Amino acid sequence: MSTMKVEIVTPEAALWAGDATALVARSSDGDFTILPQHTPTVGDIVPGIVRVHTDQGELAFAVHGGYFQVGPDDHEGVTRATVLAGVAEKTTEIDVARAQAAKEQAEADLASARSDAGDHAAQHLAESALERAELRLRAASK
Amino acid sequence: MAGGQERILRRRIKSVQATRKITKAMELIAASQISRSQARIIANRPYRHGMQRIVIEAALGDPAAAKKLLAVPEKVDAAIVLVVTGDRGLSGAYNSSVMRAGERMVNELRSQGTTVRLFAVGKKAAGFFRFRGMEVEQSFVGFADRPNFSDARLIAGVIAAPFIDGEAQQVLLVSTRFHSAGSQSVHTEQLLPLSMPDVIVDDTPKPLKGYTEFEPEVEQLLMQLAPRALESEIFSALLEGAASFHTSQQRAMAAATENADELGLTLTRIMNRARQDSITTEIMEIVSGAEALRSGK
Repeated sequence: MSTMKVEIVTPEAALWAGDATALVARSSDGDFTILPQHTPTVGDIVPGIVRVHTDQGELAFAVHGGYFQVGPDDHEGVTRATVLAGVAEKTTEIDVARAQAAKEQAEADLASARSDAGDHAAQHLAESALERAELRLRAASK
Repeated sequence: MAGGQERILRRRIKSVQATRKITKAMELIAASQISRSQARIIANRPYRHGMQRIVIEAALGDPAAAKKLLAVPEKVDAAIVLVVTGDRGLSGAYNSSVMRAGERMVNELRSQGTTVRLFAVGKKAAGFFRFRGMEVEQSFVGFADRPNFSDARLIAGVIAAPFIDGEAQQVLLVSTRFHSAGSQSVHTEQLLPLSMPDVIVDDTPKPLKGYTEFEPEVEQLLMQLAPRALESEIFSALLEGAASFHTSQQRAMAAATENADELGLTLTRIMNRARQDSITTEIMEIVSGAEALRSGK
């Protein structure tokens, strides 16, 4: 079965790179799957779980929003798919206890930010923290 | 009395040695930080280049929409300048060379009739610019040594807001670029409108030829992409600034340690001579006293 090169990249580090048979994610237009020889594409990825199918099995990543690019690699005939995410992690490396604690903290922050009307920045921060914690918990439980 | 001078010298030697201990420790700490911050620059590279590739790709996909975001503005009424410095001093010329470049730029912009709004990373900038009659609107402090991506995100949000609202037509960055452990230089670049990354090294990101699909539509994608690309550029500037800071501090502290060594040596020599002088004087006094006693017998 043909493969393509897949990279999951964050600003702090390249999270994963290797050969894969398929990449499954969701953009703002809906779910999509990238297979080898996919036409060159650029798009966004909404927060969710990105799955990479390899010969050794399936890998899952919690991606907190980002972009992807599919195009030909330097090597002839090889497809390269790059996922760029501000924050992302391997689902197997998620610390469930920490995510749970973060969720509760974010909920408390959100409640106080809401009662403290007008503090939109704090509310926004708490909301995105809550979203991240929930995604982590969702990703880890699967 | 000669003994008094000796005591003063001994005290000075002690203080020089104590200072040397501090500078040596700072040198070692900075040296250990260099490799770490260098590793972070390298780890950031795939993301940065990937982001630049996507921007190029999207810009080529819709040149008309890209023009708004990428073209150099014809008339700049107000500009935002972000100066990236360190939180701490004792780092040679690192802070001052960035700030001086920033000052030059602000003066140049003002002479063209542009209103300048100044933002800074690092504690040092606010005082420097206030002294020169330029107010720093906001200083971002506390992370210049070890910047996180969320820090870059915060800065990007603050400095992009006036640009998005149309209050400013240009966002400029003055920072230190880390080329290698031996070479860093102060660099000025335009953050917004996004400058098309002209040199993208090795990683092959030549624009892909042919037809590229976009999800969502390219114009919408570009609008979303611009803040992300800005964050990425700011983050890399922060990382390179941190690495340059540590390199510069290591070099400055190595020089300071060497100076302390030299000063200690000189002072020890002077002290020894002073001690010898006082001993000679004492012997002379004793001998001449004895002589006087004997001749008086």
